[in-house]
Amino acid sequence: MNKPAFQSRGKRVSSKEALFRIGEGVDKLVLLFLLGSVCLFVLWPMTCILLRSLHLSGGDGFTLSSYVQVWTKYQSALRNSLFIGIVSALLCTLFSVSAAVFLSTRRGWMKGLCMAVLLVCMVSPPFVSSLAYIQLYGRRGWITYRLLGLSWDPYNSWGVIWMQALSFVPMNALFLIGILSKLDGGSLRAARDLGARPGAILRDVVLPLMRPGILVCLLLSFVRSLADFGTPVIIGGRSTTLAAEIYLQVVGYSDLEKSSAMNMFLLVPSIAFFFLYRALMRRSDRLTEGARGKQESLSLPLFRCGPLGWLAVAMSLLFFVMMTLQYGCIFLSGFLKSTKGVYSFTLKYWHQLWTISGSTMVRSVIYSLIVSLGGTLFAMLFAYYMERRRVPGRSLFDCLVTLPYMLPGTCFGIGYILAFNHAPLKLTGTALIVMANMMFKQLPTSTKICSASLTQVPVYLEKAARDLGGGQMAVVRDVILPGLRPAFLSCFVYNFSSSMTTAGSIIFLIDPGRQLAVFKLFDAVYTGDYALASLIASAITVIVLAVEGLVFLISWKGAARRVS
Amino acid sequence: MYLELSHLNKRFEDREVVKDLSFGLERGELLCILGSSGCGKTTTLNMIGGFLRPDGGQILLDGEDITDLPPERRPVTTVFQSYGLFPHMTVLQNVTYGLKFQGCPRAEARKKGLRYLEMVGLKDYAAARIHEISGGEQQRVALARALIVEPKLCLLDEPFSNLDAALRVKMRRELKTLQRDLDMTMVFVTHDQEEAMILSDHMAIMREGRLIQYDRPMEIYHHPADAFVARFLGVKDLIWEPDGRLLKVIRDGGAE
Repeated sequence: MNKPAFQSRGKRVSSKEALFRIGEGVDKLVLLFLLGSVCLFVLWPMTCILLRSLHLSGGDGFTLSSYVQVWTKYQSALRNSLFIGIVSALLCTLFSVSAAVFLSTRRGWMKGLCMAVLLVCMVSPPFVSSLAYIQLYGRRGWITYRLLGLSWDPYNSWGVIWMQALSFVPMNALFLIGILSKLDGGSLRAARDLGARPGAILRDVVLPLMRPGILVCLLLSFVRSLADFGTPVIIGGRSTTLAAEIYLQVVGYSDLEKSSAMNMFLLVPSIAFFFLYRALMRRSDRLTEGARGKQESLSLPLFRCGPLGWLAVAMSLLFFVMMTLQYGCIFLSGFLKSTKGVYSFTLKYWHQLWTISGSTMVRSVIYSLIVSLGGTLFAMLFAYYMERRRVPGRSLFDCLVTLPYMLPGTCFGIGYILAFNHAPLKLTGTALIVMANMMFKQLPTSTKICSASLTQVPVYLEKAARDLGGGQMAVVRDVILPGLRPAFLSCFVYNFSSSMTTAGSIIFLIDPGRQLAVFKLFDAVYTGDYALASLIASAITVIVLAVEGLVFLISWKGAARRVS
Repeated sequence: MYLELSHLNKRFEDREVVKDLSFGLERGELLCILGSSGCGKTTTLNMIGGFLRPDGGQILLDGEDITDLPPERRPVTTVFQSYGLFPHMTVLQNVTYGLKFQGCPRAEARKKGLRYLEMVGLKDYAAARIHEISGGEQQRVALARALIVEPKLCLLDEPFSNLDAALRVKMRRELKTLQRDLDMTMVFVTHDQEEAMILSDHMAIMREGRLIQYDRPMEIYHHPADAFVARFLGVKDLIWEPDGRLLKVIRDGGAE
């Protein structure tokens, strides 16, 4: 009598079992897809550069001739890259540390204003600093020529150094502000309690605790300077750098062996610095761990800190004044026309913008939206598998996914050309390769945002879901993804602004028939059409701010509805 | 009186945190300020340490008005609840940091630092980094760092709250011995009734920013000022050591 009941129960169990199996299968497939993509889109392109530079994939056998050629022919570019990189990294770090300390000790409207300036810098496209440089300090510059009546040649290494240094500051400063906000207020109070005056606190406690962070800034700025081809091409004049030469090589001659070898000169130090960077980040985390992250401002009266304090204040003020001038100039000059030295308001360029670049703008936005969604989802899943699951080769994959953070854009771009220009993976000329490139270039930061957010999701929630009968997929769907909601927002916003403004890595991948806004901007600057360039730059900035504002509004409204 | 607080007031926005607080303490004595969280005890400590400026009232230390002195110029040091140790320095560098501002030569500072480390039983850890030592050891470093500058007054803000029960009992005893040996005047803030009764020469019981009772612990035990104090202490029985020191307080579940 018992038998039928037993059987039917057995049947139900087995169908449940099947569902479970499917879930586990999907789980494995997702993991394989993630790991496979990382290998294909990060590791493989890098390998291709190495092989090509040694002529191993061309067919004429192993030779170092390209290296020899680059080493002998580009001595001055190599030296220049090194010189500009070192000086601009030092200058940039000085600015960044000053601005970070200054902003962390400030509160109220002044801080709000400065943070707004930093935000605008973060979401504005590259090349704007060069563009503003020419308009403000150039041959017919507003300041050098019209205000001071100077006539000088602005196209040299020092212009490049200054503009690079200034344009790397916002990211570094925000990074350092993050470190400062995690500093243990107790250490500062203890130092004060033991008799340390503000200057001594800054020197003995604040700066030493920031030291790994400061070194990271130096490294990042140096690598960014090495990778930057836009600034030297536009305002470098006769002083050229390796990155600028790579750009000219690929655009002009398409000698891929030679440009691979040139890229190796950038790639090797970048990878070396990448490992240094990871070690420094670990040290920085250790110095700030255990401190309770209360979001209070640093209680340090900077004006009573002696010469160091005054230096920080002066450098930050200089930075913010220059940034305000820069963006004021960009926003204004799109609407001004000059006839015989007299400026008047015009909408001429405004009309030009929409007739010439309208569709490009729309394309940029669409690409960026797709990359933001895809990249965010990828990063969330990847962070989950890395943080919570025992994946074989975890540290290797973690390292691989972070690698593009330090890779010069030109390397990442040329790697993609070499890796994906023949069957079965012929992607060159498609939109897919551009979006994949953007996504993997931005993945290091996206993954980091998600991992940080994941640490807020307690492990016992996962255990509870499994304990109550949910499989792996249920854990992801019901615990992990909802827990990552806040990360989704910041990830999306980061991805969107980066995709709208990235230039370095995709400049070689863009199909001429499917331009993006950033390259219209580059062309306009390069051909001297400064008013149109300014307008494109402003338009990009405004679009990014608008879309991000919209995303925040939607999520805020959504949250409000859920609460009510 | 060596330390004298008179009519201290402090408000945060519209909330009065400390109301008309006055008491005094003799040199070489240990005072415990006892109360549940939010009673204003830490605010009081911060005013003595100079991290908060009182809205009204006066603080005298050894005959000097220190009400308006900033922390770095007060002859007062604090052992913070979170210790506030410098993570980028070694144990010895942490301990000797305050000597820098007293013009103490480096060699002498080192010698003195080692002596104080020995006093708290950490001589072998001089070169260790802060993250390499345990919570209890960090606690001792913080204590040595506060005492080495020979302050006129040492403040302790729930210093044992991050330690487990057994360690807390041990540290309690060590602190008391150290305080007697150095003849150090201390103000100790806690919400632990037993800790207060065992450690203190005087106890100040606070509630909602007011001082409810101020006396020797046994006086408070035998003659609680009101039903609140009696309930708050909640002492059921006391266990004494052979030498007459209080060993343990047995509480009847203690309604806080």
